[in-house]
Amino acid sequence: MKRLFSKKGSPARDDPAAAPASGVSRRDFLKGLGTTALSAAAMSAGSVAKELEQTSTERVYGPGPVPVILSINGEKQIFQLEPRVTLLEALRTQAGLTGAKEPCDRAACGACTVLLDDVPVYACSLLAIEAQGAEITTIEGIAKDGRLTKLQQAFVQKDGLQCGYCTPGMVMTLTALLRRNPHPTEAEVRKACSGNLCRCGSYPRIFAAALDTGGAPTVSKLEVITLHDHAVA
Amino acid sequence: MPWPSASKHLGKPTPRLDGPAKAAGRAKYTTDIAPAGVLYGAIFRSKWPAARIRSINLEKAKAAPGIKAAIRVHEGEHQVRYYGEELAALAGMSRQAVLDALRLIEVEAMPLPFTVNELDAIQPDAPRVVAERPNLGPAESEKTGDVDAAFAAAAAVVEGTFTTQVEIHHPLEPHADIVALEGDEYTAWCSTQGIFETRNDLAKSLGVPQNKVRVLCEHMGGGFGSKIENWANRVICARLAQAAGAPVKLVLTRFEQALSVGNRPSSFQKLKLAADASGKLTAFEMVMFGTPGHAAGPEDMGGGVTFLPAPYIYPAPNTRVKKSKLAVNAGPATWMRAPGHPVASFGMESILDELAVKLGMDPVEIRLKNDPHPIRCREYLIGAEKFGWKDKYRKPGSSPGPVKVGVGCAGAGWMSGGEGTQAEVQVNPDGTVEVRCGTQDLGTGSRTVVAVVAAEMLGLDPAQITVRVGDTRLPPSGLSGGSATTASVAPAIYDACEKTLAELKKLSGIEDPRGARWLEACGKIGSNPLVVAGKWRDGLSTGGAGGVQFAEVAVDTDTGFVKVRKILCVQDCGTVVNKLTCESQLNGGIIMGIGYALYEQRIMDARSGVVLNPNFETYKLTGAADTPDIELILLDMPERGVIGVGEPATVPTAAAIANAVANALGVRVTSLPITPDKVLAALGKLPKAASQPTEGRMLDEAFARVALAPVIPPASPANVRRRKAYA
Amino acid sequence: MKPFAYVIAQTPESAVELARNQGRFIAGGIDLLGELKEHLAEPKLLVNVKVLPGTQEITPAADRWVIGANVTLAALAAHAGLRQTFPGLAEAAGEVGSPQMRNIATVGGNLAQHSRCWYYRHRDIRCLKKGGATCYAREGENKYHSLFSGATCLSPVVSNLAVALTALGASVVVQRGAKPATLTMAQLYESAWENPRAHHSLKPTDLILRVEIPAVAGRRSTYLQMGEKSGFDWALVSCAAAARVEGGTLHDTRVVLGAVAPIPWQVDEANAWLEGKVLTDEVAAQAANLILRDAEPLAHNAYKVPLARALVRRALAKLVT
Ligand SMILES: Cc1cc2nc3c(=O)[nH]c(=O)nc-3n(C[C@@H](O)[C@@H](O)[C@H](O)COP(=O)(O)OP(=O)(O)OC[C@H]3O[C@@H](n4cnc5c(N)ncnc54)[C@H](O)[C@@H]3O)c2cc1C
Ligand code: SF4
Ligand code: FES
Ligand code: FES
Repeated sequence: MKRLFSKKGSPARDDPAAAPASGVSRRDFLKGLGTTALSAAAMSAGSVAKELEQTSTERVYGPGPVPVILSINGEKQIFQLEPRVTLLEALRTQAGLTGAKEPCDRAACGACTVLLDDVPVYACSLLAIEAQGAEITTIEGIAKDGRLTKLQQAFVQKDGLQCGYCTPGMVMTLTALLRRNPHPTEAEVRKACSGNLCRCGSYPRIFAAALDTGGAPTVSKLEVITLHDHAVA
Repeated sequence: MPWPSASKHLGKPTPRLDGPAKAAGRAKYTTDIAPAGVLYGAIFRSKWPAARIRSINLEKAKAAPGIKAAIRVHEGEHQVRYYGEELAALAGMSRQAVLDALRLIEVEAMPLPFTVNELDAIQPDAPRVVAERPNLGPAESEKTGDVDAAFAAAAAVVEGTFTTQVEIHHPLEPHADIVALEGDEYTAWCSTQGIFETRNDLAKSLGVPQNKVRVLCEHMGGGFGSKIENWANRVICARLAQAAGAPVKLVLTRFEQALSVGNRPSSFQKLKLAADASGKLTAFEMVMFGTPGHAAGPEDMGGGVTFLPAPYIYPAPNTRVKKSKLAVNAGPATWMRAPGHPVASFGMESILDELAVKLGMDPVEIRLKNDPHPIRCREYLIGAEKFGWKDKYRKPGSSPGPVKVGVGCAGAGWMSGGEGTQAEVQVNPDGTVEVRCGTQDLGTGSRTVVAVVAAEMLGLDPAQITVRVGDTRLPPSGLSGGSATTASVAPAIYDACEKTLAELKKLSGIEDPRGARWLEACGKIGSNPLVVAGKWRDGLSTGGAGGVQFAEVAVDTDTGFVKVRKILCVQDCGTVVNKLTCESQLNGGIIMGIGYALYEQRIMDARSGVVLNPNFETYKLTGAADTPDIELILLDMPERGVIGVGEPATVPTAAAIANAVANALGVRVTSLPITPDKVLAALGKLPKAASQPTEGRMLDEAFARVALAPVIPPASPANVRRRKAYA
Repeated sequence: MKPFAYVIAQTPESAVELARNQGRFIAGGIDLLGELKEHLAEPKLLVNVKVLPGTQEITPAADRWVIGANVTLAALAAHAGLRQTFPGLAEAAGEVGSPQMRNIATVGGNLAQHSRCWYYRHRDIRCLKKGGATCYAREGENKYHSLFSGATCLSPVVSNLAVALTALGASVVVQRGAKPATLTMAQLYESAWENPRAHHSLKPTDLILRVEIPAVAGRRSTYLQMGEKSGFDWALVSCAAAARVEGGTLHDTRVVLGAVAPIPWQVDEANAWLEGKVLTDEVAAQAANLILRDAEPLAHNAYKVPLARALVRRALAKLVT
């Protein structure tokens, strides 16, 4: 495997020099990343892998940690991962990108949505090893130089969020929609985020944020009637 | 009320302070925090709904690679009461390592008989959930007047049985804790609705003084009541940290969320209602029971099973009420967004519509006739006009075509109100301000409330104010529950700011330090910042929020599919603090109410005792496509002071939808959620062989048992403090 | 998930060979990862079959269309020509799950997906399908289960594509050992009717290569489904129909129901009854009667009978308009 350096010039993750300078040994460090702790279960899959290495022309990876190169937000990084690690887990615990969330881990809520070559997918239901070769965009990768995108600003201005836990997924889904279709209708917005759940019920304001970004005027469905003589029915 | 009537920020749409961090994915929730050297925790749960656990062997798990701590939740023998109960726990170097090792734990257990569904558990020969007592608890009984005479004399009497499901909170952020020990001090990052309560609970379970525990909760992914209780998983996290001598992070999975961190209890309500010829209610009778899960004994809070006001919002002079809790082998209920109210509202508003039909009255008319709440009556009138009720309301079932349209309405009352919170304002010599308050922001926008109130009072812009919340080192505030946060926090900020201005005036000699002379005044503070404390005081917040909702639905009578087309909500809001977040909370309450009406339900399997839908695939939440057109009308009554709105809006939605469905069909679906199978059954479209006469008989027998149950006085004193937060 | 080794197969033959070692094919992985996370399956090896040559294209031709096993559902739903020629198939693909899922999920994976019965999917229940002694659904919570149940497992076929492709008379080309074999849609699922442990008729080493759909001049097709929610929900019942409509009469009609039986449900008499008929309410109602004739509702799924009836009527009506 070719040694890779990220664009920032920091050493790649399989470089022993990358271990922290504290008293932690490299072995412990890698264990801490949850990658080389070979469990008993891994051994049995290991023997299958060994056997196949002799007989198969295709290259067999794992079951232990293998180098996995991911291109995340325009930056190539290399990780040591078991093949069973999902892209979401790799992003959250290895790459330190905790924007994408894991409310369900079963392709049912959308809070883990990231873009794979500009297409929204559930990071919880894709193996990291299978995301190699694609450009992965996470919520951390869309605001350039810390400046929020128009859509993100609209989320803030239109209150397209409450607790905010679904927000990174919603933003990624709608970012993809707006790239594809800069002026979506409300029906298109609803359809696009049909795979993202929001338990706080922010949908009306999320639709408003997306429509606003696309230049469609939105009105708040809230009217205030001020009553000063409330005591009288 | 002293709230300024011409305001610059109050009642205006102020974007959330933490909006940019959340929209950028930068906001760190408990699930996202990883202190150096953190270990991952995971819980080993019972696979039996009832069993005697003889022993748990942790040796193999302990020896597995990467495992640093292994604990048993109970020492010695233990009796399990529900599937998913916590038995043991591990902490280790990675989540995978811990999950792998969990499978190595061995348990010696003697499975016991169990019962998970209410109509089975109420049978006298059903297995007992707790050996010492019958599953059906004693009944709380209330009586006024002469009910039998009133029913006999009434112009119209209607009866009906209504049932509601167990609903699960399912905040999108799972329950999560991190506990770290440094020296003799604990730091805990907790996803909690009450940092101080959590601190006290943690100190107690760790056996350390309260001043040795610090709880942090900067951002939270929702709670809806499920993050009030100090559930076992938090204590387990702390014990793992103690055992491992390292920080431990324990995040529940969605599967676990469905098992043991609370739910809204079910209900079976047998109702009878009478009125005179003018439609004035004369008598009300209720026999009801519901399950709070396994903990239906003296120790439970029940999550409001018997806590529901009856009759709901429309009083009758003669009433007879009997309510009882029923234990089943399932996870415990707890407070959930407006405990008791959506349950009570569904029953009462449904039977009231039946009465209106019988009397030939318009549903709005019968409500105006019987609602003693003047604000709500006004809301009915305003709402009816905006909704076009007069044109839309038709005789039940008279809409043509296979897709029938119907409308319905329902009201809600909520006793929200505030209580003791303290706050601190720090003014720096350069004019900047920091406001500190130990509340937490569940997503309700309380952080922004603090800024808005301070900005208003100090004559600054909300963005000029730094707000610190979510840390027990800040001045204390209470639980975020009962929609009490805003009403508790805003007055404290008001008070602190008022005192700050007075102090600033004294120090600077400037009569009104606000506005143009602000910087000048601050310049005279000296080199140390000015720090002023304030606290909640009476007269700035209030309770008794009334609201009404109107629903329009289209029901496909061929397929049973219900589509909510529109919800119109008129809500009494007192002093609106932030129009933007207020609107979002109302939307959120309604959308959750739609889920309660049409989709959500925990499903238990009688044979295995497991929850069959511990996921988002078959436990169904309202999605983008299911969200109707929502129109909100806020009644801004500045003199009333601040009222919380997080809960009231979720109360009447299901009842209004159920009434609209009944209006469309001409027959009523009396059980939530209103799914296509129930609609088709109500329409009599199921093949003959499929009807189930036994269920009706079992229900009758069940109500008869509640009617015969021994009686205790209403509202046991247990957990009065927590109840207060909701009452 | 248990650890597994991972390999990217380069040829169908090697994919099949690799899968012999307690391996499982992985395409989009949406279904498979769910099973692995719940430990319903603990393969030692995952064989990625996504890059096999020729499996990612939709190839139209005059007599039949060929759809590669690894075409994504999103691509299927969006393909302009396909929407024109086989609207029923595009509609079925467009209704699967959510956009994120359709961007990843494949035709092969959709057809070969496993049971969604909530007993089967529960990590702590060992029902008949998992080698246990009983079917929990029969006397239990069976609201989402089959009206027609064959040999004891009541878990219905829930693949949207299975229903749509059956109506279109498609066949599936499978790599079986060293050589390809062609299965009709009925053959692809018949084992699920006969054997409670089977999800379909494929062996663990049978690899779907492509689907072939006969192009019949003048044929129309449609697909309808209804769930409990408006979007991102499983069909309670689905219905696909295809026919040639000539001068207002129906020819070679096929009406197929999904989510009512372990196999896509067709009744020959119903199809025959429609031959040469002008569609009226009575004609459609009789077709629905015939297709539902042998339904045996369970305690909680009788509603599927009127629902299916309505969808049959509506699908036929949509076909002729
Ligand atoms: C929340 C949720 C909702 C869903 N809703 C729907 C729905 O509405 N309708 C619907 O139809 N489905 C639905 N699904 C199922 C969804 O998993 C499939 O529709 C999807 O198409 C599977 O495709 P995949 O490529 O991801 O399959 P994978 O997960 O990769 O594979 C599925 C199975 O097929 C096998 N397999 C894969 N490729 C081949 C091949 N070429 N030959 C032989 N075997 C193969 C795998 O070994 C595995 O057993 C839903 C799933 C979830 C989690
Ligand atoms: S229907 Fe099939 S999968 Fe479901 S419990 Fe019965 S045997 Fe198992
Ligand atoms: S965490 Fe991926 S869809 Fe929910
Ligand atoms: S804002 Fe809380 S889940 Fe969407």
